[in-house]
Amino acid sequence: MAKTKTLAVLIAFFLAAGAASAAPKAGKTASVPAIAGFTADDMPYDAGNALLLRWPDGQYAADTVYRVFLSTAEAGGWVQADEFKAADRSAKAIPLPFWAWEPLPGELAVKLEIGALVGELKSGSDVKVKVAAFEKDKLIAESLAVTAQIRGNWFRLDRLNNLILLTVVVIAFFWAVSHAKRKGLFIRRIAGLDAIDEAIGRSTEMGKPIYYVPGIGQMSTISTIASTFILGEVAKKVASYDSQIKVPHYDPVVMTVAKEVVKQSYLEAGRPDSYREDLNFFVSHDQFSYAASVDGMISREKPAAIFFMGYFMAESLLLAEVGSTTGAIQIAGTDVEHQLPFFFTACDYTLIGEELYAAGAYLSKEPMLVSALKVQDLGKLVVMVSVAIGGLLVAVGAKLQWDNLVQVIMTLFKAY
Amino acid sequence: MKIIKNYLPLAMVMVMGLLMLGSYYVPHKLSVDYVEQMNKWENIVFAFAFLLGLLSLFVSHYGKIRRRQDGWGYSIFVFVGFLIMVVPSLISGGKQMVDGQVTGLGWSFRYVYNALSATMFAVLAFYIVSTAYRSFRIKSAQAFVLFVAAFILILGKVPLGQMAWESVLGWTGYGIDRVIEWIMSVPAVAGKRGIMIGIAIGAIVTSLKIIFGIERQYMGKD
Repeated sequence: MAKTKTLAVLIAFFLAAGAASAAPKAGKTASVPAIAGFTADDMPYDAGNALLLRWPDGQYAADTVYRVFLSTAEAGGWVQADEFKAADRSAKAIPLPFWAWEPLPGELAVKLEIGALVGELKSGSDVKVKVAAFEKDKLIAESLAVTAQIRGNWFRLDRLNNLILLTVVVIAFFWAVSHAKRKGLFIRRIAGLDAIDEAIGRSTEMGKPIYYVPGIGQMSTISTIASTFILGEVAKKVASYDSQIKVPHYDPVVMTVAKEVVKQSYLEAGRPDSYREDLNFFVSHDQFSYAASVDGMISREKPAAIFFMGYFMAESLLLAEVGSTTGAIQIAGTDVEHQLPFFFTACDYTLIGEELYAAGAYLSKEPMLVSALKVQDLGKLVVMVSVAIGGLLVAVGAKLQWDNLVQVIMTLFKAY
Repeated sequence: MKIIKNYLPLAMVMVMGLLMLGSYYVPHKLSVDYVEQMNKWENIVFAFAFLLGLLSLFVSHYGKIRRRQDGWGYSIFVFVGFLIMVVPSLISGGKQMVDGQVTGLGWSFRYVYNALSATMFAVLAFYIVSTAYRSFRIKSAQAFVLFVAAFILILGKVPLGQMAWESVLGWTGYGIDRVIEWIMSVPAVAGKRGIMIGIAIGAIVTSLKIIFGIERQYMGKD
């Protein structure tokens, strides 16, 4: 019995010793020097799940290891939240631009994500935090425990550069749209879109169908949205030529929208009687099953024209190459830049990225839509001028060692 | 009626679009929760739309079989394939493994679905070769530049090409590795970034057109 008691006391002693070495208590600071100037605040411009810890740097050697501990009312007790060498962190590592936060010289700052450690906390919750310095696993200094209140913020000030750019684009957009009402605007020729008439005419003469493949994007994908606009214009021409269109779908939501678009186009072309519900049909929601099925249809039916418009991945070449072997006129358009080379080589015409977005406006020739294209041009002009001036300033700044200027320019064009 | 058919959907698109846009600048938990909620709604809508898709698939292929349309035999495989996957799935409760044993669903996945998918993906290799052959036919100055760049890249990837480069152009001091690195990191990246910038601006403008109701083809016009 006495033996068991002794064993229990020994185990308790070792457990206590282990806990003490892992998480030094706040009350123990009398035995070790205190880390002066330690502060903890809510991390600005976040959802309320991080703290910003700051204390003067250079108090200890560079290989000193800091361990950060935190405690909440919900979790209770101290939990080790982070461990790093003094030399590995600096205030500059905080991912905030100069207009949102200015690091003080000689300061060590750490962003501490607490969500994964203590779960989701309510805005306004108190979190106790302290930092301890270790040299070769020996506690050499410890801060006093400080309390910080976490809260969710309402504005990402670090994204101010982005917001200003967006505001400029929105103003330009409304200016262009209102300008459209007064006079028409010039729009350059896009060969791929001019060829649509030729492709539809050819299919009408040959009495063969046209395949319109909208790709594997969902309805929230911008290229799929642009594709439905083009589909509307293509379907209108198909209806007026009394030709036949087939639209195989990968996504059922896209199919539902495309059905409405095609139906409307047939109505506008004055051919509602030619519209059939099975012009749009679901094939498969699996990439290669979809490609195999559409390839099979193309091989068997040998369409006169095939449109590949939307979001494509590895199936781009599988589809375009099979279409190419059937001798169909192929017009492709996607914003997935790494699939463009496959379309370039296998299709007759390819719309590159932004041309896909412009296609709906180009084909419909509606002044409001066409004028919105001017905003794209303006955006490109702004980017070109920014790249030229920014590149020049950075080069000059680097040459003359004006580090602050270089830093400011690099930060202005950075996404946060 | 016009309000319900025209203005209400436009207003909904505008409000939802602006809220989604605003959520990019508002880090608050309410904003994060809103985005999550919208994603959940999207999944729910997709689930119901998927049923519509399935119905469309069956109706379309049943019609082909009924009318004995050209290639109607292939349509039978749609139903056979569906049953091959769905029946074992129902029997095994949607599990591919039970007590270390492969279920009927697991078997169908491994030996039918995966095999077929891998076959389709493998076909890509042959298509790349035939596409490369076509793109190597020099018809214009641009095609010549493409050919030269591609030829150097191919040359650099095989030992024989590296040896040939060293013996012919070794005296220049430029190894083929350096040339390839330059092609990939300077002209290729420059072109790619140009396209990406255009895409990004186009995407912003397209989004604005939809949010502010300039582009409303998806709603019809009557």
